[in-house]
Amino acid sequence: MLNRESLAQSSELAADVVRFTRRSARRYKRSRTSWGDRFVDAYSWGLGIGVSLTMAASFVLALRTEIAGRASTGSIIGEQWLLLPEPVLWTSVTFAVLLVISNLARKLGPMTVSGAESTWWLSLPVDRRPMVLPPFFRKVALTAGGSAIIYLPFSLVTAVDRTAVDHILASLTFAGAGTVAVLLSAMQQLGWWSRRTAKITTTAALLACAVLPALSWSLWPPALVAAAAVGLLALVARRAGRVRGEELVRGGAVAGHAGASLFMMDANEVLRALGSGRQRVDGGRAARFYARPTRGPLRALIRADAVAFLRLNPPLAPSILWLAACMAILLVEGGLPEFAQLAVIVIAGCAAASGMGTVARKTALVPELDALLPLHPALVRTSRTLMPCLAMALWMTALSGLLVLLGAADPLLMAVGALAGVGMGAGTLRAATRTPPDWTAPPVETPFGPVPRAQLGSLLRGLDVTILATIPLLVALYLGYVPWSVLLVQAVFSAGIFLVVVLSRPKRT
Amino acid sequence: MGTVLEAEGLLVGYAGAPVCGEVNASVAAGDVLGIVGVNGAGKSTVARTLAGRQASLSGDVKVHGLLIDPDAVPFRRQVSAVFDDDLFFPSLTVREHLLLVARGHSLDDPETRVEEELEFFGLVGRSHAIPDALSSGQRRRLLLAAGLIRPSSLLILDEPEQRLDPRMRVALSDRIAAHAKDGGAVVLVTHDPQLLLATASTCLVIDEEVREFDPEQGASIIAGS
Repeated sequence: MLNRESLAQSSELAADVVRFTRRSARRYKRSRTSWGDRFVDAYSWGLGIGVSLTMAASFVLALRTEIAGRASTGSIIGEQWLLLPEPVLWTSVTFAVLLVISNLARKLGPMTVSGAESTWWLSLPVDRRPMVLPPFFRKVALTAGGSAIIYLPFSLVTAVDRTAVDHILASLTFAGAGTVAVLLSAMQQLGWWSRRTAKITTTAALLACAVLPALSWSLWPPALVAAAAVGLLALVARRAGRVRGEELVRGGAVAGHAGASLFMMDANEVLRALGSGRQRVDGGRAARFYARPTRGPLRALIRADAVAFLRLNPPLAPSILWLAACMAILLVEGGLPEFAQLAVIVIAGCAAASGMGTVARKTALVPELDALLPLHPALVRTSRTLMPCLAMALWMTALSGLLVLLGAADPLLMAVGALAGVGMGAGTLRAATRTPPDWTAPPVETPFGPVPRAQLGSLLRGLDVTILATIPLLVALYLGYVPWSVLLVQAVFSAGIFLVVVLSRPKRT
Repeated sequence: MGTVLEAEGLLVGYAGAPVCGEVNASVAAGDVLGIVGVNGAGKSTVARTLAGRQASLSGDVKVHGLLIDPDAVPFRRQVSAVFDDDLFFPSLTVREHLLLVARGHSLDDPETRVEEELEFFGLVGRSHAIPDALSSGQRRRLLLAAGLIRPSSLLILDEPEQRLDPRMRVALSDRIAAHAKDGGAVVLVTHDPQLLLATASTCLVIDEEVREFDPEQGASIIAGS
């Protein structure tokens, strides 16, 4: 063990190493960037952020006005046999977001080192705190700022009767709660608790934090979370040097991969990066089914894809939670506008479908393997689409069954839902095999100005057909009954999407 | 001479599956343990486990009588390991990379030590180049220089001869021998019979069963005879 004096020296030495690295890197960057470049960068960022904020603000204000006058709007469900009080729903949403922040922080570190830092810094016999803490503090500050910015429109939309000061206090409270979520993840990274205790403690703490923004008519909720955040920060900062090197490298690798993919707006790579931290792949699941003799390459491939799906796909929880989210939105006291209810159903469907695409995303990385099989590519794609289609058909049947129970339409809706699920499942394969956006392609001139058509096409590939597959279902929900024509159109839509997906060969970069 | 490294009943591998037989070895100060074997035998996995870069499946590894902990400061001070990690700070020059290691290990007169290493590894002319501007062999030299500029009682080298020209290989073997002569222990994973013969005092052949040979037999095994 190091005594206090040698620890201080070691810490000073580490800080010196970090300063040296940063100074050299800055000098190098400065020598390669002109003032003109820096001005253009700052101008582009400023303009982009300004335009985005303006658009977001106008959308939020329009939504707020719509919600304020929602007494005049209807609902897609006929009977509300369970009434969910509005504060309970918004607190649940806040809690869910805090859980997402905490999980993301854990996947991305939150304390990390980059690849080069792991080789050149971690091997030095010095206290690691000066190497780990500055980027960690930056992440905490960014989370706090980001949480405050995200919560403000949420508060504006969900609590129309609050004053401006109340909204600001609520945002500050949520900023503190977001910070607590990241700090709790850091404590898990430090191995402070066992896995089980960490889960229970984090869930309980975040649940308490989720309640506070709704109580922001006084100063004590933000003060309470701020005190909790400062206390946790002090604890983490003291022990940050004890995070295992392996953990720092893992977090750095995932964060680097996800960050680069996000910068390139490559959704598939972002999902691959976030999925790479999964510890266990159940290699034994469905082993007997796979071992059974089979005839012909297509049957063998279908079996292999089914087994891969069962082994690699994420647990059931996210799909069930999305289902619960749809129900909560429909059962909330007062009800949301119809368009908001339908939008939530579409978002939940797209999210659930995205979760079914793990196998397709992984196999899309090595198309050469599929080419080895003596099968037409369309058959390979059919095999790969079957399991997502089946899973989404089940999910959509469950959703539409619940909607029927709530009196949204007649039982025929379940058939429409199942068919929609087939189209949505096919969309996962289309999304998995999309090429990353080519940011060098010039925008196309249109009467509305230049449009980056190639990039948009790439970004929306997959999502386009997933949304398209839900349109007949949404029409039925809007009408409140299922005409046979809607069932027929849904069948045509889903079959068409399935055929388009399996027959079109993905572009290669 | 005291024992620096001890491995007892060490099983290494991935996802619970061992890649080779059980490793039992000890390296005293002044000794060079050569590790040889065919591609995929598990040599690098053994080396990574000895260096604490990877957890063992079972068994113990001790350095100076203490179980290894790659995150402990004394371990990092004692053990220098060079693997084929092509990871560099993209905006730091060759000289700055070496200065970072020299300062981080509190060397006296780090600038002079860096100049000596640059001279030895033939990198003087490239000392102000960033890693992207180096050839693959020069990047390898830089990694070796970083591993050798700092003091260590245990040096672990994973196929250090890779990407080096014959002249540099000879210089490297002299350097490894000098390190051992000064009282350092060395673990050397290699495919080069000359390097093994010039440096190693004992040799482990990694396979389904791990056996100890003298360096001559080890060199013959590498050569395939």
